[in-house]
Amino acid sequence: MTAIQTHGMTRVFRGGQGVHQLDLEVPEGAIYGFLGPNGAGKTTTIRLLLGLLRPDAGEVRLFDRALSRGDRSALASVGAMVENPSLYPHLSARDNLEVTRRLIDAPVARIDEVLRIVDLQDHAHRRVREFSLGMCQRLGIALALLNNPRLLILDEPTNGLDPAGIAEMRRFIKRMAQELGLSVFLSSHLLTEVEQLATHVGVIRDGHLLFQGTLDALREHAGDYLEIVCDDSAAVCADLRQAGETPDAVDAATVRLTRPVQADHALNRLLVERGHAVHQLARHRPSLEALFFELTGDASPGTASTNTVGSAA
Amino acid sequence: MKAWWRAVRAEILKLKHTLALWMVLIAPLAVVILIVLEWMLVAPSKPSTLTPTEAWQGLGKMFFTLWSLLMLPLFVTLQTALLAGLEHGNTQWKHLLALPVPRSAHYLGKLTVALGMVVASYVLLFVLIVPAGFVLMFTAPHMGIVGMPHLGGLVAPVAASLGASLLIATLQTWIALRWRSFTLAVSAGMVATVAGFIIGQSQYGRFYPWTLPVQAFGKHGAYTSLALTLGLVGGLLVAVLGLVDFLRRESP
Repeated sequence: MTAIQTHGMTRVFRGGQGVHQLDLEVPEGAIYGFLGPNGAGKTTTIRLLLGLLRPDAGEVRLFDRALSRGDRSALASVGAMVENPSLYPHLSARDNLEVTRRLIDAPVARIDEVLRIVDLQDHAHRRVREFSLGMCQRLGIALALLNNPRLLILDEPTNGLDPAGIAEMRRFIKRMAQELGLSVFLSSHLLTEVEQLATHVGVIRDGHLLFQGTLDALREHAGDYLEIVCDDSAAVCADLRQAGETPDAVDAATVRLTRPVQADHALNRLLVERGHAVHQLARHRPSLEALFFELTGDASPGTASTNTVGSAA
Repeated sequence: MKAWWRAVRAEILKLKHTLALWMVLIAPLAVVILIVLEWMLVAPSKPSTLTPTEAWQGLGKMFFTLWSLLMLPLFVTLQTALLAGLEHGNTQWKHLLALPVPRSAHYLGKLTVALGMVVASYVLLFVLIVPAGFVLMFTAPHMGIVGMPHLGGLVAPVAASLGASLLIATLQTWIALRWRSFTLAVSAGMVATVAGFIIGQSQYGRFYPWTLPVQAFGKHGAYTSLALTLGLVGGLLVAVLGLVDFLRRESP
């Protein structure tokens, strides 16, 4: 089952900005990172998913239930935090939760449960105006968890947090997804953060979805390759071709395999057994940032950088 | 119906620690204190010839005339702006409207609490006539207030004034929810209230929303029925139109 499914979801504002023909597909149980530069349409997408905006065309389905202006029951399985947490600063954390609890008619005991989940049980009676930004973010997530959702939609949940706060929020989201079995849809402009957190990604630019799939699929999409540094690239290429591979000689000492058939360690053993001097065998994986900039077509100092994820000699 | 009641209960909780809640007490109390001080400090030209019943009801009428002409429109303006400001100020709408709750519940919840505060302030002002009367009985005996309170004759005009106030309450609720600006909502109410001083003295005063509640206490209540009808019918109409507008728009 999919947690979120949209077909041709379109919303265009005056001036042409908006989102166009979005076909999102978020599998149940996934942590889906929704990436895009500022103004790409991330928040518009989230507002459409929550029924805060009306689509010009297309439909939104949450756990196979259509969301419409008249029928909002699909939102019963969804908890959300859009941009900053929506809190009443003059009320305590508990009262903030109680306001939403009364609206959705959740059990009273649920307040203590969500306070425990977000580690705010010791601050329940403090007024929110005394909270740090990180505590507000956590309370915002507690609000989103009140209706025991199966899907959590978070718009830039680390916005404004310091590096320690960002790391804590990342751990927190991961833990929630694992322990509560939640599907999470989160937008972020912090690409490295999504890389560490998400199982699936969607990349949007100018309101168009450029890529959607698993992180591995994204890397494959951009060319994950194996690079071998040796003494004689021509001889190595010949032996690899014999073994059923399709190598490319980059220079006299470097061979690149874009889609190796055999495992990296098997190729290493093969070359060593045939008497080649293998100085380095490494898989080069473009960083998500590099892929992101490649997809969105933006120039970035880091576009050409790659991450080495394994090596052998 | 259940969603509406849940929204009302949520609205009541939001009022905790707010000026809006205190204003329900402060606004009628201010009217009482002003009138009592006026009678205590102003020397009478001649002793009262009123019967005790007329004196008690005259005191109540003074309270409610000042209340319904000046304090009530300002009170409604401030209360509705503060209620709406709870959501506008903290960008709460994106949270509230993403909940699996009918959108109408939010609007009707706010309107109900605004009306509830108006009713509470009317009741409180009515109750405050009694202690004010006893204070004046000793500090301003020239008023002629003696014996136990005789307030039965005030119930009908007070109820009519309350009913006539529905129109300004629904109008101000709509304005406060429709526009995010606190200043705009308060300015609209203040200008309309001040305009009421001029319009109220003309032949159009009996039709002007902000001077409808005072009609029950002026000109021997000649226009009470008209004011009550306009207030109730107009109030219901504006409440429905305000709700339709709220449902039609994407985000307040």
